[in-house]
Amino acid sequence: MNEESTVVCRCEEITLKEIQGTIEKFNCSSREVKLRTRAGMGSCGGRTCRSTIDRLVEQMGGPVISNEVPLSYRPPVRPVSFGILGGAKE
Amino acid sequence: MNSMRVEHHPVLGDLENQKEIKIYFDGQEYTAHEGDTIASALLASGIRTLRLHEDKATPRGIYCNIGHCFECRVRVNGKNTVRACLTPVENHMQIESGTPLSASFIKGGTL
Repeated sequence: MNEESTVVCRCEEITLKEIQGTIEKFNCSSREVKLRTRAGMGSCGGRTCRSTIDRLVEQMGGPVISNEVPLSYRPPVRPVSFGILGGAKE
Repeated sequence: MNSMRVEHHPVLGDLENQKEIKIYFDGQEYTAHEGDTIASALLASGIRTLRLHEDKATPRGIYCNIGHCFECRVRVNGKNTVRACLTPVENHMQIESGTPLSASFIKGGTL
């Protein structure tokens, strides 16, 4: 499997190689992978890559999914424009 | 040429002729049927690339087609982030595809 061209996070286009490299280098939790590589921060809200990131972290000896919610759902659950937040009509 | 439109469906039968309307994608005129979504109308005219990734400039188009993933976001009549897969087409709709914004490796890229 070619890690270089395997995209884990579609929205931000983060490859498997980048994520594995980040986990190896910083031995971090999936939340930290998200903060460091933006994987999981895309417009789909992590729907596509969330579980893959969790499993990758688990596989590479990162902190096993403890009670701490690894990649919690952050508002807004759907992307929303500042215009609408500012009260513009839909 | 509606290359991709399913005219004769084995189960649903033949496509009844809906009203044809004009839509514009990046300045080019295409015909669409009323009741199409932007994504299906463009796909029927053979267009699959709806935008280029804002950062990596790779071609992007329909992915989930049910409004979850925002891969099909286009700019419609000046309004950004409109989901092509959910938005029905209207006559003389101006649709613009997404263009790359900036190269993140210039401002530091991933750690």
